[in-house]
Amino acid sequence: MTFVVPIGPQHPALKEPEFFRFEVRGEEIVDVDIHLGYAHRGIEEAFSRRNYKHNIYLSERICGICNVVHSTTYCQAVEQLAGIKPPERAKYVRAIIMELERIHSHLLWLGIAAHQIGFNTLFMLAWRDREYVMDLREMISGGRVHSATNTIGGVRRDLKTEHIPTFLRGLEKLEQSTNYYIKLFESDRTILARCANLGVLSKEDAIKFCAVGPTARASGLKTDIRRDDPYGAYDALSFNVATEREGDVWAKGMVRLREILESIRIVRQAIKEMPGGPIRTRVDLQIPPNETVERTEAPRGELLYYIRSNGTEIPERVRVRTPTYGNFASMKSMFVGGTVAEIPIVIWSIDPCFGCNDRVTLVDSRTGKTRVVSFDELRRRRK
Amino acid sequence: MIEVVNFVINSLIFPGLLFASVVGLLYVGIDRKVTGHMQHRIGPPIWQEYLDMGKLLSKEDITPGAAQSLVFNTVPLIALGAIVAVMLFLPITSAQPALTSVADLIVIIYLLNIPAICVMLGGYSSGSPFGASGAARYVVQLFSYEFVFILAIIAVVARVESLSLGTVVGYQAQQGWLVLDWRLLPAVIAAIIGAQGKLLRVPFDIPEAESEIVHGALTEYSGPKLAIWRLAYDIETLVVAGLLAALFFGGPTAYVIGGTQIPGVVDFLIKTLVIVLFTTTLRNIMARLRIDQALKFYWSFAALLAIISLVLVLVVP
Repeated sequence: MTFVVPIGPQHPALKEPEFFRFEVRGEEIVDVDIHLGYAHRGIEEAFSRRNYKHNIYLSERICGICNVVHSTTYCQAVEQLAGIKPPERAKYVRAIIMELERIHSHLLWLGIAAHQIGFNTLFMLAWRDREYVMDLREMISGGRVHSATNTIGGVRRDLKTEHIPTFLRGLEKLEQSTNYYIKLFESDRTILARCANLGVLSKEDAIKFCAVGPTARASGLKTDIRRDDPYGAYDALSFNVATEREGDVWAKGMVRLREILESIRIVRQAIKEMPGGPIRTRVDLQIPPNETVERTEAPRGELLYYIRSNGTEIPERVRVRTPTYGNFASMKSMFVGGTVAEIPIVIWSIDPCFGCNDRVTLVDSRTGKTRVVSFDELRRRRK
Repeated sequence: MIEVVNFVINSLIFPGLLFASVVGLLYVGIDRKVTGHMQHRIGPPIWQEYLDMGKLLSKEDITPGAAQSLVFNTVPLIALGAIVAVMLFLPITSAQPALTSVADLIVIIYLLNIPAICVMLGGYSSGSPFGASGAARYVVQLFSYEFVFILAIIAVVARVESLSLGTVVGYQAQQGWLVLDWRLLPAVIAAIIGAQGKLLRVPFDIPEAESEIVHGALTEYSGPKLAIWRLAYDIETLVVAGLLAALFFGGPTAYVIGGTQIPGVVDFLIKTLVIVLFTTTLRNIMARLRIDQALKFYWSFAALLAIISLVLVLVVP
């Protein structure tokens, strides 16, 4: 006999509202049904009612944690539409903030993952170290979380020379603690017991379900937009793409921890090789009819913006595809066959950001078919 | 008449409800403070448990519609009663407990299981899937740690050849602490692992894993009923530590330092606090296991330790 364990929309394991309907037999999961759309805020519609300048701040508010990468992708897309190039120095400043954001996001992930497996001490320590990154971000942009640094045609604030020594010291501390966490992840028996061989996503499934970001990299898929389709300053910076073969929760954590080290490397490089010059160019925002697609590597994976302009100051249509949305399809194959105790950590292993997901989707658990329901159809159903 | 008055004083004031609540709540408060410092945060003040208790007791008493039953409402009280009763059998001021019987160790083991059974009943009768799931996990966990815990106690019993806790403490006063006996060392480790499971501390806080099943069997409890559960749990922390102290660490001993008489209860408090702090350390350096992993761990590693100890005691003279 199976019975249903509802996880969400409100549940301590979820940091944001989303509904997972698990069918379990004893402790074993036999089926999962994911209902999205609880955090729908109508952002895409709001995009086409504001002008390009206001939309920068709107795009930052799609996701609190990865706000810089959202605004960077948006600004890059608009710059492409308008046919201008930001100054070199602006690209480097953007790269630095984006990498700091990746470190901050991954440490946040580590903390909550530790909490999910009941390791509260690691949770607190990881978040203590996250404070260092936030301080660095405050120094460069004035905001600990929301940086509001990006603008169309460059950045609004520059990295000052007198900040650089403090910056390097902060990176040093982060590197030390990250190395310690990597050692802990490799050796701690209870972490291995809770993370190894859990929620496995095989390489074939990762390809089949189009997994993105650390989720895909943990399954041995060497994919990274920064390397595959370099944007901004990334073609001038050298870094490794961290991958693991196992595809389990442990590998997903390990990939993220090693990415922190790579990000620290990138930031150091960027500070060293940063060219001088202006940080922004002027842009005429009466953009003629055009359309563009821009991809970046957010902390959680590939982030995609599609923008169509229509000759006015207001975009015709903005479409955002967030990495979490790309990873939901692969979730079912991670869950089925596992146990109830794994649910929180496996959900968290893809680093879901439900706030980013802003559309209504129905998943039919029997056929595995996913359907996107339009607003009109929803209205018809309600009647 | 005197006996009745004595019994009432024993069970309500010392070493019963009042003493046990004050010390138990304080210990868990200390535990929370130390945990805070270990996790690099300030942590609550050590009297936080008293404040929590006062707040919970002053709240409205709510019973969810699906849980309307005699069982749901009475099990917290039964659990508290059982755990306070154990206090009467523990040697606290001297080797002699407040209540004695020929085989009080058996009574203690029995009474210590009543709160666990009450939690399960409360969970199953709460009408919530989280409660039922937590209760189911608790059953599995009970069958894991209890076997190990009892085996470790049997090793001690075989060594001392008495089922009376008073005799065990008296024996240690003459022959030295049992923890110093190498044949019993595996049993001590097994008993501490068992206690960790009994007190639902990481890595064995599986039945109330908050990120998985909210608060397990106690999910639907709130207000005064939750306060009673918390009180029972906090006293259980003290009781289990007291039992371990009496079994392996010499129990309460009175000392004379520089002409001043230090009563045995001070020794009892120090020893139990050290044991509680040890379990606090353990719970802060590990992640939670899964229920099947915990079961396997108890029945293989911990049970093996206890059996080795028992065999050593029986075989090696």
